[in-house]
Amino acid sequence: MSAPVVARGLAVGGLEGGYGSSPVLHGVTFHIGPGEIFGVLGKNGMGKTTLLRTIMGLLPLRRGKIEMLGENVTGWPPYRITRLGVSYVPQEKSIFQDLSVDENLRLALREPSSFDERLVAVAGWFPFLATRRQQRAGTLSGGEQKMLLIARALLTRPHLVLIDEITEGLQPAVISQLQEILAEERRSRGTSIVLVEQNVQFALALADRYAVLKLGRIVETGSTIDTGAQKTIERHLVI
Amino acid sequence: MYTIQLFDVITTAGVLYIVALGLLLVYGVLKIINLAHGAFLALGSYAAVIATWLGWNPWSALVIALAVGIAVGAVAEWRVLRRLYVRPLDTILATWGLNIIIVQSITLYFGREIQFAESTITQAVNVGGVTYSLYRLVLLLVAVVLGTLVWLVMRRTQIGIVARAVIMNEELAEALGINTRLVRFVTFCLGAGLASLAGALITPLVSVHPNLGVPWLINAFMLVLVSGMSLGNLALAALILGGAQVLVSSYGNPVLGSLTIVILAVIILRFRTIPT
Repeated sequence: MSAPVVARGLAVGGLEGGYGSSPVLHGVTFHIGPGEIFGVLGKNGMGKTTLLRTIMGLLPLRRGKIEMLGENVTGWPPYRITRLGVSYVPQEKSIFQDLSVDENLRLALREPSSFDERLVAVAGWFPFLATRRQQRAGTLSGGEQKMLLIARALLTRPHLVLIDEITEGLQPAVISQLQEILAEERRSRGTSIVLVEQNVQFALALADRYAVLKLGRIVETGSTIDTGAQKTIERHLVI
Repeated sequence: MYTIQLFDVITTAGVLYIVALGLLLVYGVLKIINLAHGAFLALGSYAAVIATWLGWNPWSALVIALAVGIAVGAVAEWRVLRRLYVRPLDTILATWGLNIIIVQSITLYFGREIQFAESTITQAVNVGGVTYSLYRLVLLLVAVVLGTLVWLVMRRTQIGIVARAVIMNEELAEALGINTRLVRFVTFCLGAGLASLAGALITPLVSVHPNLGVPWLINAFMLVLVSGMSLGNLALAALILGGAQVLVSSYGNPVLGSLTIVILAVIILRFRTIPT
């Protein structure tokens, strides 16, 4: 008998992809287990966002294999991957500005009847969501928009979350709050998380393991509890 | 006299709104101009002709038109259009080709001569001291009902939220688990069905021939471009531009009247500022 889908993570093998005729990823391989947080770090333009978009099926895969939550999802359209129990938090243009807070959240749910119950759960983390449900999402502050993104991602109670540079432009207090929420999500539900970041401290505080991406290749991997992990990563980010 | 013209302005706006509604939906969600919209109108009108031939209740033509429009739209989207969404220019050629195929098929079967369809309502009523066509007033009511219905669906239902999300950012909608291919399919079918329904509704007001949809397509296209994908703006554009058409036709030249919507739309598009 196969293991329950929820008990599996993500495995990426020999991933090659990019935009049009320009290759960006060159044989990226990694895996994460259930309940594990994996940080992908790198400077701008190294292929981090391309990696997540390729995993999500938003960019065509040229070569390689993607397995998540017990399924071979290579070549699947994004909506099927999401429905498997995956939440993706993109870096840019990630909320529907002209929809209300309420509508932005509802979009993520396949079972509208569970909305109220789920909203209570995420409003525990972000109380403004419950009181400003009818506000147009585009009028929220930058930090509130990021919170809405995380709330929308966690509302579906996903098994795997892919997060692209959530801390960019956020105040330290908000970053700390997001850190607590993601840690709690993993602790309470065993959610696996792929965290693409440039904020090394944030990534190291949350992740169990990390990889450094450079020009579309993984050039360094390790455990975040290793002494010297931060220095190793920062060396790659400077060079 | 002015009362009759006022009614003409309002009911013409209603008719234009009904005709343009399906085109607006398709343009908004699929981001393509469906140049087969006029052919779907013709399909609806010929559904009314067939209902007359068969001696059926004229109201049944509306159901037939809606069903035929949806069915033909479904086949067109499934077999042709869904492969072309990544090539928007080709969708224009494809829908124009579809328009030619439908029009020529109608011509093959019915010929080019003008056909007759029985009207659902033939009475006139006394309103505001004048005798006016009850059918045109009913069309105005249909426009209000259809517009309200579409608005309610778009604003108050999960389907509407999904459609608006796809309009705003299709890739993000897909990443949230929305099957955008299905949304496109349903929208195109609905747009085609609404066009055919509009064709059946306008049958008592027009001469039914294979190319009857072309002038309607042009006017509807202009109204959709001017309205910028908003149902409210579409109603306003139909009222102002359609009203101008009625007035120019009445006080000026009917030929110039038929060009009024196009001319005004071009002027509006030229001077409209795009919000950044």
